[in-house]
Amino acid sequence: MFCETCGSQLVPDAHFCGTCGAVVKAHEPADVLPVHAAAPPSLVAVPPPAPTAARCSWCGSPLAADTFSCPGCGGKVSEMAMGTRSGWLQLPGRKDMAKLQFGQSTCQIEGVYVPVADIRLAAGDSVYFAHHVLLWKDPDTNITTMPLKGAWKRMFAGMPLIMTQAEGPGHIAFSRDAPGELIAVPIHPGQSVDVREHLFLTATGNVTYDWFNTNVWFQTRNGDDTETHYPVGPFMDRFSGTAQPGLLLLHAAGNVFTRTLGPGETMLVKPTALIFKDPSVQMHLHFEHPQVGFLSWGSWSNRYLWLRVIGPGRIAVQSSFERLEGESRSIQSASYATETRW
Amino acid sequence: MSSPTAESFERLKCPWCQSLNVRSALACQACGAPLDVANLVSESGWRECPRIRDMTEIHFSNSTCQVEGEIVPVAEINLSPGDAIFFEHHVMLWKDGTVPLTLMPLSGGLKRAFGGMPFLISVATGPGRIAFSRDATGELVVLPLHPGMEVDVREHAFLLSSHQIQYSFVRVKGLVNILFGGQGMYMDRFVTAGSPGLLILHGYGNVFERTLKPGESIMLEPGAFLYKDSSVTMDVEFQKLGTGFFGGTTMSLARVTGPGRVGIQSMYVHHKTE
Repeated sequence: MFCETCGSQLVPDAHFCGTCGAVVKAHEPADVLPVHAAAPPSLVAVPPPAPTAARCSWCGSPLAADTFSCPGCGGKVSEMAMGTRSGWLQLPGRKDMAKLQFGQSTCQIEGVYVPVADIRLAAGDSVYFAHHVLLWKDPDTNITTMPLKGAWKRMFAGMPLIMTQAEGPGHIAFSRDAPGELIAVPIHPGQSVDVREHLFLTATGNVTYDWFNTNVWFQTRNGDDTETHYPVGPFMDRFSGTAQPGLLLLHAAGNVFTRTLGPGETMLVKPTALIFKDPSVQMHLHFEHPQVGFLSWGSWSNRYLWLRVIGPGRIAVQSSFERLEGESRSIQSASYATETRW
Repeated sequence: MSSPTAESFERLKCPWCQSLNVRSALACQACGAPLDVANLVSESGWRECPRIRDMTEIHFSNSTCQVEGEIVPVAEINLSPGDAIFFEHHVMLWKDGTVPLTLMPLSGGLKRAFGGMPFLISVATGPGRIAFSRDATGELVVLPLHPGMEVDVREHAFLLSSHQIQYSFVRVKGLVNILFGGQGMYMDRFVTAGSPGLLILHGYGNVFERTLKPGESIMLEPGAFLYKDSSVTMDVEFQKLGTGFFGGTTMSLARVTGPGRVGIQSMYVHHKTE
């Protein structure tokens, strides 16, 4: 137990903090009754909401009438209808220190510039993550590597992408390398979500992980070398729910916006701004050539490269993005693409 | 006359852009600055650029711009038929497929390259929606320009400008950035002729502005310079940093001299001119 005011370690059953004198709030069940921590989640599930209860506009979790923030993603209820004029929905703001519940464990989201996911794992619960997002952990929180099929093909910053698993009980925290937002995506049974690579922070053990080839690429020629570029990365991560609801945490740079595309509805987005999409959303390249009335330069300059996303399904974008590699060069060949010439 | 009529003619002056707004307005309709927040001025005289509230709408010509997000804000434009905006292509975040794009004819643009691409200004014409954002944390600086105004802006710092504004650029020789070096830099110049227009910049980090009196000057790190009125002059000065013994080193600073406004950013992201 730690003091919620100053962070000092507390003696068990203390009513006051020995360092700062703050009153210690009622203990969480998992701290005082460790027996409950191992109980199957079904026995201690959150009470079912009233049939009329509202749902969180971001993650779809049911909301009790008197809550100020969503138990599934931590979003502020008051900011849930923050739609832009063109129909993008902004990720609802979150109170600093908002707490999410999954299984018997909790995740507290701390900070507003580069938020930290501070997870208290109960015994029997686990999370997995890519090694480079670990911020800190308790010395006795057990971590192991997770077997991944074909994972040796994928590298991140020169290191093979290894999924690491942390098992409760214990504390572990994650963060990323750019100012932005932490996105909580509750994964319901049967639901899947496709995430652009390297945006993944952590997921609960009951969410299955797989990846697939995006098949979105173009080749450029530089002297005798042919280079292949992948605007949304060569691979995408796919996270799927199992029998029990799980939680997926992503980190996006800048602000986050989402919209649900109707069947056949399309949108042009910057490829490096894509965060995630439903598996039902199709995507391919789109080249747009502006109208040039005055003189014609090489084809390499007169085009914009887009990702065309086609509904039905949900997509999310971030407002800050890396520059697209190879965009300026002459394109030799590309995966399936549409084209507009103005 | 009855007092309600008199009151309805009362106007609130925006502390940032001086536009007049109806009394009930919460944010300035021309620049988005919150009207219920006083000017924040430091003791040394820098005024903080107003933090635009999430989802604020700004009006220009017959079109609107909605500012979304507070980490890397997005400018979402709803263009009316007949209205157009221009921008550097790499700041486009998303667009409707139906919004036509053209290139602006530029003299000398071929000499100026950016990120391996020739420097081109793209034009989007209404009707339709298109949105813009940048690659790092910062603030949107909304500058409504009235006829006769001339503003010089750090290269690659402008996000978009409405079509009523005339665009050109000038090269500032000798101005090198302490952190990044380089062969000098360009400044984009925006001039309004007949009708008012809207200019939106993205400043990295926080943005501050001060108005210099005629002859008053201040020394700036070149990487911090964001914009100035064209009446403000900018000269490079070399400052000798002695080490006491041999050698020493020099650093270049920009001396900006009034009269007029000068704006700075607190984070030095520099896009090098090649």
